[in-house]
Amino acid sequence: MHALTVENASKTYKSPPRPPLKAVDNLSLHIPEGQIYGLLGPNGAGKSTLISMICGALKPDPETGSIRIFDKDVVRQTDQAKQLLGIVPQEIIVEPAFTVEEVLYYFSGMYGVPQAERRKRIPELLESLGLADKQHDKARSLSGGMKRRLMIAKALIHKPRLLILDEPTAGVDVSLRQRIWELVRQLNAQGTTVIFTTHYLEEAEQLCESMTVINKGKVIKEGKVKEIQQEFSQNIISFELYQSEVEHLAGVRRVGVEFELPFRDLVQDMRGLLDFYGDNLKSFRNEAASLEKVFLQLTEGGPTP
Amino acid sequence: MTFMWALYAREVKRFRKLMLDTVFSPIVSMVLYLTVFGVVVSAKSIGDISFLAFIYTGLLAMIMVNSGFSNPGFALIIAKNLGSILDLQVTPLRPWQIGIAYSLAALTRGLFTLSVALALTVWFIPGMTIAHPLSLLAIVLITGLQYGMLGVTFGIWAKGFEALTFGTTFVMQPMIFLAGVFYPVGQLPAPWNLISQFNPIHHTVNLFRYSFVGYADTAPLISWAAVLGCSTLFFGLMQWMTLRKLAESLQ
Ligand SMILES: Nc1ncnc2c1ncn2[C@@H]1O[C@H](COP(=O)(O)OP(=O)(O)OP(=O)(O)O)[C@@H](O)[C@H]1O
Ligand SMILES: [Mg+2]
Repeated sequence: MHALTVENASKTYKSPPRPPLKAVDNLSLHIPEGQIYGLLGPNGAGKSTLISMICGALKPDPETGSIRIFDKDVVRQTDQAKQLLGIVPQEIIVEPAFTVEEVLYYFSGMYGVPQAERRKRIPELLESLGLADKQHDKARSLSGGMKRRLMIAKALIHKPRLLILDEPTAGVDVSLRQRIWELVRQLNAQGTTVIFTTHYLEEAEQLCESMTVINKGKVIKEGKVKEIQQEFSQNIISFELYQSEVEHLAGVRRVGVEFELPFRDLVQDMRGLLDFYGDNLKSFRNEAASLEKVFLQLTEGGPTP
Repeated sequence: MTFMWALYAREVKRFRKLMLDTVFSPIVSMVLYLTVFGVVVSAKSIGDISFLAFIYTGLLAMIMVNSGFSNPGFALIIAKNLGSILDLQVTPLRPWQIGIAYSLAALTRGLFTLSVALALTVWFIPGMTIAHPLSLLAIVLITGLQYGMLGVTFGIWAKGFEALTFGTTFVMQPMIFLAGVFYPVGQLPAPWNLISQFNPIHHTVNLFRYSFVGYADTAPLISWAAVLGCSTLFFGLMQWMTLRKLAESLQ
């Protein structure tokens, strides 16, 4: 079963006098159960808009096909769909009036978690997020990183099967980032499907098996992280020269201190490269392109495959 | 039920944390009104009740209307500004459940304030008895809920604090002051006496006064019809607004 199915979702923001903006444009996604899945895209790609439609905070355009969480339609079976979903929004939101415990106590109540169960779950969850000693503190008094963890606690308190994190590690220090990754892996091992958005490609490489890259509201690439990397690295030989200020082979690009040559046939083009530069060639490799590179090519490079 | 109950409990907790502002400040205003208008001109009487008893009962109605309206109004606008409105959008609460939970919290705040007001001010009117206790209970409960529902409608609709201040200053306050809290509406010159009949708060004030001291400007049955009609209307408005706007209120 798919943990998340999005079929032909669109969202147009109408805020006159500005022209309408199609933030999500006929976008479809099928995310299998049990994965850690990355949703990548530059600023303004439409990731948060998509997530708002999934969680019920935003009405999709009328022509939208359907959005389903474990096959429960978010419009027609909204209660069941919402029970299956936990959401950590991009923005940190804290209610100044309440303590950490109160925030979680009332929020889980709104999911229908019985009172005795709430009293049991809250300390456990805070313990696992390293917030145990903050239970009775005002949520407002927490540090930024702690607030972020409180947001994660809110998303987990009703034990959802699908967890969506919108840029969980933005503005978070290295150790907390590691900790969030660890938590995500742990939850996934226990059977939770996790979807997260990020700008850090390192994060996608480290954490997820598959990913979707979106730009301007459309899917521009999806598949296994490894395969996307390979597809884009296959066509490039990177090399260094002792002496750079020389005549170059047609098609060679300079990238920092290195050069890149897109190729069609590895053996043949390699031979051409050796013949052309001869002893000037210091090193060469056909490495897996970093996701950064893939990402830039996908989102800024001309026509996409 | 847990769902709604949790939201209701949260909203009650919220106003209890700000008790000074939410419960005591209306009582201070009430005491000031009573002192200025009531004690100073206490010699007068209206019908067979004293002027003091007249405005006292009107002020109690005003407290109930104000608490009802402003509790959900402020809570929802703050939630929109903070972004915590998301809590209402992602949890499996139906719009009507959200509306009712907020309205019940508004009623609870009204009851809180009303009890404290009664306890603190009853000595202004020595020997006061309640003419129609059941009717009083009914109008108190209905008023809290009714203006709670109006407050929810307004809170969901309003874009920001300016809109709320506008609503309070330019709509609610004039309606309250023209409802006959401080004077008998029947004695107004035409066409104001007629226009007052279309002010829903007039009927609330009228029924509070009738239930307390047995005096009515307008026939109680007419007022009951108006109050019940308005409650239905406010409920409908609240339903319509929450259904239409809740999913869009982040925009
Ligand atoms: N409430 C809104 N009203 C009007 N336009 C909006 C609104 N929210 C987002 N947009 C626009 O929709 C587009 C997509 O925004 P969105 O927040 O979904 O992007 P994103 O992929 O989450 O970006 P980021 O990585 O910066 O968080 C942007 O052009 C943004 O300006
Ligand atoms: Mg975003």
